[in-house]
Amino acid sequence: MTTINRQDSNTPVTAPPIASSKQPLPTAKTVDTQSVRKRLQSELMALMMSGDSGISAFPEEDNLFNWKGTISGSKDTVFEGTEYKLSLSFPNDYPFKSPKVKFETSCFHPNVDVFGNICLDILQDKWSSAYDVRTILISIQSLLGEPNTASPLNTQAASLWGNQEEYRKMVEKLYKPVV
Amino acid sequence: MVVDAALSVCDLGVLDSLNGDAVQEIVESWNGYCLATEALLNGNGDLSFGSKLVSQARTLCNYGLGSLVEEHFAGFLEETFEKNGASKFWEHFDAYNNVAGREMSVDPIQKDSIQQVLCKALEEISMEKQYQEKCLLLLIDVVQSHKDSMPEKNLGGTERLHLLSKYQSMVSSVLMATLPPHFPEILHWYFKGMLEELSTIMADDCEDDNESHDKDDMDLDEKSKLPYRTGDMDVDECYHQNRLLQNSKVVKNIGIVVRDLRNLGFTSMAEDAYASAIFLLLKATVHNLAGDDYRSSALESIKGWIQAVPLQFLHALLAYLGDSISYDDNLSSGLKSPLASRPSSCYAGIDNPSEGLVRWQLRLEYFAYETLQDLRIAKLFEIIVDYPDRSRFAALVESTLQFVSHCSPAIEDLKQCLEYTGQHSKLIDSFVSALRYRLLTAGASTNDILHQYVSTIKALRTIDPAGVFLEAVGEPIREYLKGRKDTIKCIVTMLTDGTGGNSNGPGNTGDSLLEELNRDEESQENTCADDDFNADDKQAWINAQRWEPDPVEADPLKGSRNQGKVDILSMIVSIIGSKDQLVNEYRVMLAEKLLNKSDFDIDAEIRTLELLKIHFGESSMQRCEIMLNDLIDSKRTNANIKATIMQPSQAGAEALGEDAISQDLLNATIISSNFWPPIQDESFNIPEPVDQLLSDYAKRFNEIKTPRKLLWKKNLGTVKLELQFEDRSLQFTVTPLHASIITQFQDQTSWTSKNLSAAIGVPIDVLNRRINFWISKGILSESLGADSNDHIFTLVDGTADTSKTGANTGGCEELLVGDDDGDRSVASVEDQLHKEMTVYEKFITGMLTNFGSMALDRIHNTLKMFCVADPRYDKSLQQLQSFLSGLVAEDKLELRDGMYFLKK
Repeated sequence: MTTINRQDSNTPVTAPPIASSKQPLPTAKTVDTQSVRKRLQSELMALMMSGDSGISAFPEEDNLFNWKGTISGSKDTVFEGTEYKLSLSFPNDYPFKSPKVKFETSCFHPNVDVFGNICLDILQDKWSSAYDVRTILISIQSLLGEPNTASPLNTQAASLWGNQEEYRKMVEKLYKPVV
Repeated sequence: MVVDAALSVCDLGVLDSLNGDAVQEIVESWNGYCLATEALLNGNGDLSFGSKLVSQARTLCNYGLGSLVEEHFAGFLEETFEKNGASKFWEHFDAYNNVAGREMSVDPIQKDSIQQVLCKALEEISMEKQYQEKCLLLLIDVVQSHKDSMPEKNLGGTERLHLLSKYQSMVSSVLMATLPPHFPEILHWYFKGMLEELSTIMADDCEDDNESHDKDDMDLDEKSKLPYRTGDMDVDECYHQNRLLQNSKVVKNIGIVVRDLRNLGFTSMAEDAYASAIFLLLKATVHNLAGDDYRSSALESIKGWIQAVPLQFLHALLAYLGDSISYDDNLSSGLKSPLASRPSSCYAGIDNPSEGLVRWQLRLEYFAYETLQDLRIAKLFEIIVDYPDRSRFAALVESTLQFVSHCSPAIEDLKQCLEYTGQHSKLIDSFVSALRYRLLTAGASTNDILHQYVSTIKALRTIDPAGVFLEAVGEPIREYLKGRKDTIKCIVTMLTDGTGGNSNGPGNTGDSLLEELNRDEESQENTCADDDFNADDKQAWINAQRWEPDPVEADPLKGSRNQGKVDILSMIVSIIGSKDQLVNEYRVMLAEKLLNKSDFDIDAEIRTLELLKIHFGESSMQRCEIMLNDLIDSKRTNANIKATIMQPSQAGAEALGEDAISQDLLNATIISSNFWPPIQDESFNIPEPVDQLLSDYAKRFNEIKTPRKLLWKKNLGTVKLELQFEDRSLQFTVTPLHASIITQFQDQTSWTSKNLSAAIGVPIDVLNRRINFWISKGILSESLGADSNDHIFTLVDGTADTSKTGANTGGCEELLVGDDDGDRSVASVEDQLHKEMTVYEKFITGMLTNFGSMALDRIHNTLKMFCVADPRYDKSLQQLQSFLSGLVAEDKLELRDGMYFLKK
């Protein structure tokens, strides 16, 4: 609980600006699940067809609002060669509210706590309906290589970040690959 | 026990009372008796010792030694019979010991000699036996009279019967014990020979009958009566007297042999022998009559033959033997045959046919049915291959009797046989294995397999209207066809190509399927005609009354298929799996056809479409209908545009001079591309005047049909062009690209391939492929340029090369079919499928990335759930499986324990 509370007090990392192909949707207070489904459906299609490497997500078998995501560490970062599972949970008023995104695999990262919570601005106050699953995943992928050590959730990781060699060892030590 | 004890006591008393004289007398009598017995039995028919034997035996009997006398006599009889009867009897046949049965059958002299030898041997042994019986009777009389004189042991005539039967069994046991192994064979060949002889006589008989009665218009009943009349023993007709005599002589001979054999205890062996001979002959006759001719029914003539030969023979035989054979009495009481209760005209010549004869008839007919059935089943594949005979079928289709089963007589025969024998499973097994071995091989073309499948459906529909066996037989064909890639294409061609465009099939398969469509339509019309409000109830009642249970072989899981009619079309469609696929393939094919049309004559297509609509429903054919409507609209729009554009075009013509082309020459096919299959696009530059023409046309279209715009698919369509040389002109019908190529040579007679491809705007390899057409026509020539990759094409001078193109002169019209270059205007169904599957591949990769491993049905369900946008996932589990195994083969996926993984 404390962690989560603390999370709010932190300044979220600013996500790098990503050009979204989608026009911002007109804000409407009432949204029916049908249109949310449609949106998620098309996001899924876009994500599948985009062919971005290293990011992927797919709805769980019976629920379009719960997705599983996969992110692999970018090349030339300490996370190279690792793969992390995420869970994405979309609210009923998506895309007007951001989805809840968590690491399922433990990730030794300054902006990720031991419970997998992520401190990222676009997932909180900087959320816009122009973002979509693909942009979220790309943001998280780039967050891995470029953490905000100024307001860390994981202070140990933040302090170790300066020493990339040691950090790499730590990542390897703590990394539990998905079976 | 008490009586026995008293008797023995009594006997002992007798012994005590014997004095020396009496003993002496007994011994003398015994010796005398023994000598007399020996003399009598070896006496070669001389009964002079009889009286002596009688007196001695009587004396001995008086001393109470009756049983001893009997036993001694019996023992001596046996010895003598073995020596004089049996061994001599078998000696007759020693000569045939080493002769194989087959040779005997071939050699007529041998056959005759067998008959003679058998008759002689039987005669001899019968004489011997008769003589022995006589002797035995003498003794029996003595014993009997002695016993009769003793009031306390009045056993009546039983003693006599007892002794005779004992003798009988002694005779047969002696013969059986010494039976040489080849004797049954000899009997068999004897009967066979006799039967054949009889059969030949009968055949002549029948022929004569037919000849003499043809004039009298004799009906069937009478015909079948005749053999009986001739065979009847007491017949006293003057008609065919001579042959009758001959006939009855043969039968009598056989009768004597059978009777003698029976007397010797060979009842069952004799019966086996003539039964097997009859069956053998029957089999040979069936094969002979049925043979390899499937165009006539053999069943009737076989039945006729059974009546004429074997039954008549049996009747005569049974009559001769007094018809009191054991099997007749024992077996028939419980088993009343269905035929026996039916007063049949077959027995007209015989009053009350004996039970035995009826049983024989049933046996023979069953055997005949079975033989014919086996024969036909073995040849069913061939029968069906040329089923139904083309001309016959056409004739029948023309006639309005659509529902008269137009099947070959061989199939009719088989149907009747199967009804009788019920061995449908045999048919299925045999036919399925024939199919697997001969049809479902890589060498057979899909067209042939489909043709055979349709024929099979038609043939089996005759045999089994309920379609139960068809289900079993069709299964392997369907399974096999599912594995063929061109199945759908072939089916659609068969369905739509009524004009017989199918050139590789021997029969015209296309016709039959299109006819099938028509037939359906007509049947539908028929049912519609009497579709009153109460007709349904009536029909239901009639159907209910006609209900018959499914055959036992029916698979209960499949539900009752007693719809009375097997729908060929739906069986064909079931190969494909869903009608959607078929409709889709048809759409592609239709698009191809429509796009290649240079006129707007689509009557045939409209007709086919209407037929398909009846069968597959209006909604599924909607897109095809729109396509046809496009064509009709195009015709109208075309006329409209041409009428209104005339003025500017003429103005242009003045400006552009000879290069300008009149709008009259242009016909546009305007399609609503949303409803058409994806169309292959290939861009290239078309000659300026034509391009101008097209844009003028498009502009006018836009004016008339605002806001719609015309987008040209420049690579589609056909161009009719005439090439004018100094001395000749050639006409061609080619694709627009070909036309563009040759047009470039109008101003410049020589081009390098690089420059030409730039001018036309197509890649060099495409150009090289297409330009081959003109080279092959002798219009252009190709030579190597400075650069080995850069070829030079030159217009061949007309005068220089007339010999080469001689065949093409005279304004011949060459239609270049797009397929020649393996190039089609419409994306094929496979291409579309492949494209769709690529989308699915991404989804599958996506889900496997995030879920690790998934089973087939989970992938299937997930795709169904989330892949809903265009292209919507609508594949079957099987299709998905084959797609996934394709991915596994490409090393993209991995399959372990039924789970799919991403290959890392």
